[in-house]
Amino acid sequence: MASTSTSATAPSCSVIFTTQTPYPLPTQKFMIPTSWKRFHLSQLINKALSLTKPIPFDFLIKGELLRTSLGDYCAENGIGEEETLELEYIESVMPPQKMSDIPHEDWVSSVSCHLPGHFITASYDGYIRFFDYSQKLAFSTLAHTAPITSLCVIPASKSSSDEDKSAHLIATSSHDLSAQITRISLSSDSASSSESKTLAKLHLHTAPVSSIASNSSGTHLLTSSWDTLIGLWDTAVPSSDEVPEAPINERERKKRRKLNGGTNDSAEKAKRKAPSMVLKSHTARVSRVVFGNVGNETTAYSCGLDSTVRLWDIENGVCTHTITSSEKPFLDIALNSDGNTALAASTDRTVTLYDVRQASSLTSTSTSSGSLPHAATPSCLATGSTPHQVVTGAYDGIVRLWDLRSMKSAITSFKAWEGKKKVLSVDWRRGMVGVGGEGGMEVWKAVEDVRL
Amino acid sequence: MALNSKKRKQNDREEPSDTFNKAVDLEMLSDEEGENDIESDDGDVDDFPEINTGSEEEEESDEEDEEDVEDEDSDSDSSLHIFPKAKTIVSDITGQEKLVYPEIEPDYDSDSSTEDAPNRVGDIPMHWYDDLPHVGYDMDGKRVLKPARGDELDRFLSTVEDPTSWTSAFDKTAQTDKPLTAEELELIRRLYANENPDAEYDPYEPLTEWFTGKGKEEVMPLSAAPEPKRRWVPSKWEHKKVMKIVRAIRQGRIIPNKAKTTSQPQFYSIWGESSSSSAPPPLPAPKPPLPTNSESYNPPEEYLPTEEEKKQWQETDPEDRERDYLPQKYSALRLVPGYDRFIKDRFNRQLDLYMAPRVQRVKLNIDPSSLIPKLPSPNSLKPFPTYKSLKVAHASVTRCISVSPDGAWVVSGDESGNVGLWEVNVGKEIKKWKFKGKIGSLEWCPRTDVSYFVVGTEDTLHFLIPPNLAPSVLQLTQTRPSPVKWSTPSSDTWTEDSAILYVHLPPSSGLPTQITWHRRGDYMASVSTGGSQASVWIHQVSRRHSQAPFKKVRGKVQLVLFHPMKPWFFVATQQYVRMYNLSEQKLLKTFQPGIKWISSMDVHPSGDHLIVGGYDRKLCWFDLELSDKPYKIPHTRNSGPFTSTQLYPLFASSSDDGAIQIFHSRVYNDLMTDPLIVPLKILRGHEVTSGLGVLQVKWCSRNPWLVSAGADGAVNVWCS
Repeated sequence: MASTSTSATAPSCSVIFTTQTPYPLPTQKFMIPTSWKRFHLSQLINKALSLTKPIPFDFLIKGELLRTSLGDYCAENGIGEEETLELEYIESVMPPQKMSDIPHEDWVSSVSCHLPGHFITASYDGYIRFFDYSQKLAFSTLAHTAPITSLCVIPASKSSSDEDKSAHLIATSSHDLSAQITRISLSSDSASSSESKTLAKLHLHTAPVSSIASNSSGTHLLTSSWDTLIGLWDTAVPSSDEVPEAPINERERKKRRKLNGGTNDSAEKAKRKAPSMVLKSHTARVSRVVFGNVGNETTAYSCGLDSTVRLWDIENGVCTHTITSSEKPFLDIALNSDGNTALAASTDRTVTLYDVRQASSLTSTSTSSGSLPHAATPSCLATGSTPHQVVTGAYDGIVRLWDLRSMKSAITSFKAWEGKKKVLSVDWRRGMVGVGGEGGMEVWKAVEDVRL
Repeated sequence: MALNSKKRKQNDREEPSDTFNKAVDLEMLSDEEGENDIESDDGDVDDFPEINTGSEEEEESDEEDEEDVEDEDSDSDSSLHIFPKAKTIVSDITGQEKLVYPEIEPDYDSDSSTEDAPNRVGDIPMHWYDDLPHVGYDMDGKRVLKPARGDELDRFLSTVEDPTSWTSAFDKTAQTDKPLTAEELELIRRLYANENPDAEYDPYEPLTEWFTGKGKEEVMPLSAAPEPKRRWVPSKWEHKKVMKIVRAIRQGRIIPNKAKTTSQPQFYSIWGESSSSSAPPPLPAPKPPLPTNSESYNPPEEYLPTEEEKKQWQETDPEDRERDYLPQKYSALRLVPGYDRFIKDRFNRQLDLYMAPRVQRVKLNIDPSSLIPKLPSPNSLKPFPTYKSLKVAHASVTRCISVSPDGAWVVSGDESGNVGLWEVNVGKEIKKWKFKGKIGSLEWCPRTDVSYFVVGTEDTLHFLIPPNLAPSVLQLTQTRPSPVKWSTPSSDTWTEDSAILYVHLPPSSGLPTQITWHRRGDYMASVSTGGSQASVWIHQVSRRHSQAPFKKVRGKVQLVLFHPMKPWFFVATQQYVRMYNLSEQKLLKTFQPGIKWISSMDVHPSGDHLIVGGYDRKLCWFDLELSDKPYKIPHTRNSGPFTSTQLYPLFASSSDDGAIQIFHSRVYNDLMTDPLIVPLKILRGHEVTSGLGVLQVKWCSRNPWLVSAGADGAVNVWCS
């Protein structure tokens, strides 16, 4: 009786709950008082499922995060009382917490949280630095004399797993027109010193190399450069120079080795490696190239300042699909974990979502299915392990966490370096967001969805 | 006083009876003159006071004449009554006054209307019986004897004695006076009052609708005959008549009205209604001012002048008075005296009408919004820079920037001698050079096969090579310059930190404020602030040769510019822009922008248009093929330098208030179509330091991005 009397007095609306979380409710209409907010709804679901450990939920109506009460939402969007609302609930994202701050002497252009136990940063002073989780500098080496633009960890192949576990292959790209593969052996104890060795230098580009990416099995690398080319490389170290040390007057894609890679200028010089394939279709600077996800690794995705996102068949070396948008010079691209959509950050302050499943036509214009508006230039982005979440860093120093089901505003955000310095790189793995930029590196804790 | 008022009342009451007498008299004038005496009874009443002594003595103090008249009045009143008059008597039982009506006798005689006239002579002139003793015969043939008629005195006495005498009329058939009945008197009264004599007649009785109104419309024609032909055929006879007149006119028998040639001036009323169509429409008369509260006869107290104000008003000359009247208060409207200034007011009004200007000003009824030219919306002209993407800070005033030809790098130089090289997209300074003294100007070489830029410091131009070049480009850049005249450090001493080439301008030539390249990248012109005449130098890099093209330039050279296609060279002094042909060595044209001090100049990439900006916040748009006067002047608040971009139809102008204004400028190949200039956006972000705002703006070549250097030491990148 009491419940009927309250429902009679307070206005209520009918609601259906849906979810993709492992906590489904039976499909059923609920009459919910319109004055309820997220907290009440979350409590209702917790009680209805009788969860032992309470899980906070967030609620989405038509792709928009519910931030007010239900009644206010209905009033704002002109939804009548008779209509049935469809509420999708997702697990709430806890506000990120800062874990550590690792200052650098120079700007950090790239960070990686790929290796468990270590953060790797590449800096504009040409150094690769290893930090352990206690913010201690584990190792640093001068890889390039010019600024390093990008860094990736080449996963150890299965065959070499019996080798030293502490040896890692790092690929870096630099302004000095080359990329290189460096093997870094970290010593577990402090007695023996860690050492690094440049295995190969990748010579193709005639302009600064903007990005480098490795596939999941560690067999191939992709480099993109300002000279509109994308290079495909295998990671096998050649026994001899594939590219001759060019005489100066010869006009080929060779680099005058004015200064060899610094510290390891030993008797054994780094081998000069040639690309296995060159992908040529962009008309302006290529800003980022990535491999497809596991199982789709014959496809590469690249974006450039010519406002295109291109899909490549890297077995045949052809561009299979071009997404052309109008006046969106892209700075970064990231593939979602399901591989169906790609996100590209452009200088018009948006991060645009594109469907990259093989379209029927070869070129299409702007098949964007939504965009995330930013307040400043979004410079970098990283997708989580779920297909819905993405982290973007922008020049205003704010790292934003988005849910792609609610694209109007970020779910949460945090300011690195008090929001005064530019964010140049983000990486998101294992619940940690590594932020690299003007002020060095910061590590924030942001829990991912653990659904998959 | 009471007596007087009573008397007046009496007179008032007398008047209606008097007029009534007159009315009756008017009716009877044709009958007999004997009744005329009654008319004069007003005058006679006073003469015979003694006759009425027998009347009631109700009021002792009253004069007899009044009583008499009153008596007569009351009698006449009673005779006017249609119904029998009630008498007021004192009841025996109650002692109160009560009305008693006379008995009604229900016999024939009581109604005189059915009574037959005894005389049956018919309608004959009655003067036939004047000499006879009878006046006619009755129904039985017996004579009706003439009634006895008294003389004039008797008649007069009867008017006094008989109260009904004045309402009686002479009956011709009976040859006697008969009193008029009440109906006849009522009829007379109605005629006299110009009413309808029939009291029963209702002039306003409701209309009975027989053929109109709802449900009674006549739908059928009255006649079933077909409509005659003459209804729609033009009349033949009218045609014949008209043709007759026309023929007469043609033959000259009828002369139409001659045009009136009147030499006399035609007069018309300028304020009146428009009588003739020839006169111009009447002017609206000037309106007199509306009366104010203080002109009221009973104004509120606050409008009344004090004594001092009154005095002051009276002392001032009439011409100097603020108002030409003094407000005065009257308790009642009837106490207001006559308006003494009426004549003067009328005269002034006539003067106003006479002196009013005879000009009609036609108000233009134009919607102001229709005068604004239709400009496309800025949203449709995207892309253009809209926001500040990043900022690179210098320690001091950054005077000059330059963007590399591929649009990837920016060099910026400040006043403390630092030159920084940084990426457009990231803003990270990759390389830094330090010079002594201010950096006056710097410019990238526009060639794409080589990559270097020129920095102008005091008396010297430095040629610098950015780091991390492709070997081929670097090779070409290094080998191309060969020392002829200019000083080059030997190749083994060269590092990236030092310049590869120096050009030493003549001593005391000062700081080069501007370096500009020809599009091909071989020729370079520099303008120095040395103060001597030959401050313009044209350098040829391939031949290592410098020359001063002008021996003498009138005025101080501010800017120089190469035309992008033709061998033309623009030199801007403070107020003029001169265009020279370098190959023919002659002056082609002098542009007069009308600007006090030219601050910036640029040629549109199409090569047909020149934009000149000045410190006095003007911007002039010249068409090179047209005149030397500004063709179009876009409105801008900005005075600083500006630039236009190659790939996009945009140009930007900057100003000392720290704002950058972006314009869309589309030039059509069609010569007839005007260039379209649309202001797009104002970008704010630079702070004003010591009165200086934005000092230089440059476009990136490939993208619609703008780089701006400000006096606050910041170099901003604006992205679309």
